[in-house]
Amino acid sequence: MTDHCDRVCHAGSDRSETDQTMTGQTQATTVGQLPTPDGEDSRVAATLTRLVWVLCVASIGVLALRLRGGGPWELDGLVAVDGLTAVMWVTVTFVSGIVHSYSRRYMAGNRTIDRFFGRVFAFTLIVMVLVAADALALFVAAWLAMGLVMADLIGHVDGWPQARAAAALSRRYFLASTAALAVALGTLWWHTGATTVSGVASALGEASGTVVLFAATALVLAAMIQSALVPFHTWLVSSMTAPTPASALMHAGFVNAGGVLLVRFAPVVTVDSAFMLAVAVVGATSALSGKLLKTVRTDVKGKLGCSTVGQMGFMIMQAGLGFFGAAVTHLILHGFYKGYQFLSSGSQVAHESPKSTTATGSAGPLGAVVIAATALAGGVLFAALTGKGTKLDSGLVLTLLVVLTVLHAARDLVTRSALPASVRYGAVPLVALPAIGIYAAVYGTIDGLLGGLPGVGATAELTVAHGLIAAAFVATYLAIERGAYKHSQRLYVVLLNATQPPSETQLTATEEYNEY
Amino acid sequence: MSTDDAIHESIETAAQTVGARWPLHSFVTANPLSGFEDQPFHEAVAAAADTLGSDGYPDADVFRRAWEDGRIDPDVLRDTLREHGYESEPEATLDRMATAERAEATETATATDRVDAVLTKWLSAFLDQGQAKWPMPEREDGFYDAFRAVARHDGEIPDAEAIAELPDCPLDAIREQLVNDPVGEWPEIFEFHLAALPGWTGLLKQRADDGDAWQSAYPITLAGYLAVRLTLVDLFDAPRTPEAADGDDATADGAVPLPEVWLTAWEATYRSALVAELTDASESVAATDEGDRPDAQLVFCIDTRSEIIRRHVEAAGDYETHGYAGFFGVPMRYEGHDAAVAVDACPPILAPQHRIADRPTDGEGSRHAEHDRWTATREAAESVIGRLRSNAATAFSYVESTGAGYGAALAARTLVPGRVHDLVDAVDDRTPDDHAVWEPAVDHDPDHAHELPAGLTVAEKTEYAATAFELMGWEQFARLVVFTGHASQTANNPFDASLDCGACSGNPGGPSARVLAALCNDEAVRERLRDRGIDVPEDTYFLAGEHNTTTDEIELYADGVPETHAEDVRQLRADLENARAGAAAERADDMGADGDAGRETHRRAADWAETRPEWGLAGNAGFVVGPRELTDGLDLDARAFLHSYDWTTDDEGDALEGILTGPMVVTQWINAQYYFSTVDNAVFGSGSKVTHNPVGNVGVYQGNGGDLLTGLPLQSLMAADDEPYHQPLRLSTVVHAPVGRVTDVLADNPSVTELLDNDWLHLTVVDPEQEHRAFHYTEDLEWTPVDEQAPTVPEQTATTTPSTADD
Repeated sequence: MTDHCDRVCHAGSDRSETDQTMTGQTQATTVGQLPTPDGEDSRVAATLTRLVWVLCVASIGVLALRLRGGGPWELDGLVAVDGLTAVMWVTVTFVSGIVHSYSRRYMAGNRTIDRFFGRVFAFTLIVMVLVAADALALFVAAWLAMGLVMADLIGHVDGWPQARAAAALSRRYFLASTAALAVALGTLWWHTGATTVSGVASALGEASGTVVLFAATALVLAAMIQSALVPFHTWLVSSMTAPTPASALMHAGFVNAGGVLLVRFAPVVTVDSAFMLAVAVVGATSALSGKLLKTVRTDVKGKLGCSTVGQMGFMIMQAGLGFFGAAVTHLILHGFYKGYQFLSSGSQVAHESPKSTTATGSAGPLGAVVIAATALAGGVLFAALTGKGTKLDSGLVLTLLVVLTVLHAARDLVTRSALPASVRYGAVPLVALPAIGIYAAVYGTIDGLLGGLPGVGATAELTVAHGLIAAAFVATYLAIERGAYKHSQRLYVVLLNATQPPSETQLTATEEYNEY
Repeated sequence: MSTDDAIHESIETAAQTVGARWPLHSFVTANPLSGFEDQPFHEAVAAAADTLGSDGYPDADVFRRAWEDGRIDPDVLRDTLREHGYESEPEATLDRMATAERAEATETATATDRVDAVLTKWLSAFLDQGQAKWPMPEREDGFYDAFRAVARHDGEIPDAEAIAELPDCPLDAIREQLVNDPVGEWPEIFEFHLAALPGWTGLLKQRADDGDAWQSAYPITLAGYLAVRLTLVDLFDAPRTPEAADGDDATADGAVPLPEVWLTAWEATYRSALVAELTDASESVAATDEGDRPDAQLVFCIDTRSEIIRRHVEAAGDYETHGYAGFFGVPMRYEGHDAAVAVDACPPILAPQHRIADRPTDGEGSRHAEHDRWTATREAAESVIGRLRSNAATAFSYVESTGAGYGAALAARTLVPGRVHDLVDAVDDRTPDDHAVWEPAVDHDPDHAHELPAGLTVAEKTEYAATAFELMGWEQFARLVVFTGHASQTANNPFDASLDCGACSGNPGGPSARVLAALCNDEAVRERLRDRGIDVPEDTYFLAGEHNTTTDEIELYADGVPETHAEDVRQLRADLENARAGAAAERADDMGADGDAGRETHRRAADWAETRPEWGLAGNAGFVVGPRELTDGLDLDARAFLHSYDWTTDDEGDALEGILTGPMVVTQWINAQYYFSTVDNAVFGSGSKVTHNPVGNVGVYQGNGGDLLTGLPLQSLMAADDEPYHQPLRLSTVVHAPVGRVTDVLADNPSVTELLDNDWLHLTVVDPEQEHRAFHYTEDLEWTPVDEQAPTVPEQTATTTPSTADD
């Protein structure tokens, strides 16, 4: 009994002291003092966070050396640190550092926080190994490990049957992509005898066209699964059982591996121009359908997932057009964008009115001139700074998209009569043109870093198919602007069903939800 | 047609099972078991367990922790156990409870799971409030018709073409499905199916009842939903009727379950400490006279968080504080100038009576235009970004052009969250303040009546002002009277509305405070108040403000203050800053944070990675109705709602009736929301924020999808996964008034009495006319004197002098 009293009174006296020191208030009797949380921090989390930032700083050092002409550094037949390695190291350690620092507060109080940090850190190390791997076996092993750790993160809440089902589903996909990769690399090794990535590139001439084409198909298949391209997107839209920071890491890091794979094995993929065209079509299909899938989703993370399907499709399309530098630039910048969107997904709840409020006026002759001039200036700037579209090649497709984007933004603003004239006519040139400049600078740097890689740098000749891809984008742009596609109920249902996670990964009976 | 009525009636009855759930953007705290309040508490939780699969009591672990922490008085517990026929020792009963919990097992019927999955797909598509760019086709025809039109193409439904053949009327569809079931069993079948996805059905029930703008545009009815569900059940060949009860009728013998006994003892322990302090204080209140006129009087919401800031404001100067419901008694639908929609800024138990919109303040012409330009520019930027992101042809270039910027934002928001708050503050300082440029238009405007009259007539204004002072029992007015609403400030938080003012249905309380202040400054109103015996001195000025419950800053809306009161306001501002420092230190300490409390609370307000920005109303357990003098010597650790009341100015008991039927019922709902979210976070709460996925602007999913979750998240209730913060106790109300007067009020209000009789909350009276003794309400308007021998906090303090010597 006295023991019990002691505890109560200790708790009370603690508070009275604080009061006196803080406000000089005279002593107040405390009634029903609540327990004070100990605010204890996970040691593992703190240590790993510091470590990952050390890795980030070191990676920036490596990148700086590389930019000044150092390297590449090789460890005979095992790893090779080249421009792609350096830039991916910086990207992945930066994103991972953000995820670590964010999670120290976001995951505070989570019972399995140590395990979470262990997995995120392990994932970071594995990706670093993957982008540096030269030995084919090491590449496959890192690829497999990366998938397994990511599947574990999807099922991080292990007392929850739906999370376990989602983890199992993604694990099956990742095993399939590893199998495709193993088949591709095994084939290359069998026919060239090379055991390293660099070895394969130089020995490729000896292998027959059919064999290389087979290997390239398997490689692209592995990349498609990894980057969640249509029709392999189901694992990605079912992965929302992962804690938010793990999703950020997945969308800013994990899915990018598909692009890295194509760049690493560019000599294999670029062996046939018709095959490259097929890659571009596969990418463009996913790019457009991912965006369409997104339109019917009502949940924030599901929308982000579908958006990633589209963005990864675009990235693969850029690779298919021969712009490997642009693909790497895209996956990095998209990673920042999507990471941000996930980490801020809690801010997306708004009180909307059912009436749509898009009453825009007309642009008028002056407005039309401003719109056209701004869009054209955007396109010219983009072409001049990046070199895309200055020649009559597939780069024109990319430039066209920039023109469309600037045009769209300019038109949207110019037609808003409520805005001051300076904003209506000036904002888009003032914001969009520098933004294109920044992009061009990043692209230029990355393209320069990739310059020495085998197979990278050959852009595709302009063909009719490229014209079709461009036409498809313009048609989609117009269809979305006019809402024409919305007349088909059938299309709606197809899209809705294509974005549905399998029912065993959905929590329909909330009493089954159990943190542990 | 008679069967139509039978169906409607059966649905009405069945729908009682499902607690109404409000959309997340206007988080309304409600008792999730409000449909069961006509039953005794322990029977209600047992009934809910049957239909919803929920737990209604804390786990044995939670009791054990409270027991080991000394929060449950051993004597009280033993007495209560004995009283209910449990003879065993506390430890042994704990073990028994723990064993009983482990016996649970869940089995799943896969056909039902598939029905649920298909239904959640269509419900989320239909009930979406603006997330999907391509909403469900034919929504304007209503759920049943839209489903008939669109779902026939759904390849996931076996024999989906049959959907096209459904009858035009949902009631006919229901009849077709239930043709083999006797009408007497229909309510049970409806209940079974409404309870299957309680999150979604709770939302649609609320929406159908409320009839808001979304409901008018895209109607959905319970009958339409049931018709769809029963059709799907048929197509998937899932069970249509609930399984026969498994004979688990342990509670049917009327025995009070063991957890109920423990809970009661825990509540009694908290309550006896509180009541003992209040009885002591009651004697000293009676002995003192009305003091001198204070420098200012500040009225705060009854919200538990006000308890902290009020202590610190009182300590910072010669200030008096009062507690009043945070909507300040004006049931209005408020249309903020920037808001897309009007919101009901009053408790869910009231219907709004007036529509009050913002209007430009006088003499601010140029600032007003500047403000408009700023708003238009911001909106245009948001809209352009939204459209660039959503168009398939522009999204890719948009991402490339802005990616570097997002990278910088990632680093800034994650690594220096405190600076982000400074930045937001700096931008705020440079842009015109909303409240300086806009003010609520309170005057009655007969030309602008919508569904509600616009503004208030002088008679109505007088009524609201008079009610406020009568309920709080005011007799003197300081030179400055401040009505302080409250709102939270958090980042990246889908549950931010749950931290705003519960009396304003999860909206900020500032506008309500402004309305009441404007009424009280109105000369015509003051004149009429004088006629009602409320004499407001000439030199009294009423001011509104808003208490930021995350940082404890109080912003005063002092733009229109006359010159005569400028100095009073300046002094008050300085003192409020001191109070903020003290309150923030206490709040930071409650969060387990070290270091500079001011920076810490600012960081929490702006940090996108923070899942516990503030504790909200966690810990709430008591409600004190009485003068501030009763509690001003106490530190209640933000666990008690405080409503000002003076029994000596309320001879008829009207004010008391108003408080017991209004604020007490609302606080009981808030308390029940916290209680049930804590005892079963999966069914009544919304689980961990870490895996939340907001959906349709109406709620959150856990993970990929499924049922809608709208209750409080785990992080609002727990300090860590294995460390509870909120103590799940039912509300203990303590009223300072003669027992007879309270009995009269209860006799006139059977609905309140029913709540008490069914143990949904406790009521104790400290009777100033009976030597300040306390009486506890038992049942049927009977009272029992509170045992003077019960151990109380002062006694404990006395017996353990060594540990309190440093006080």
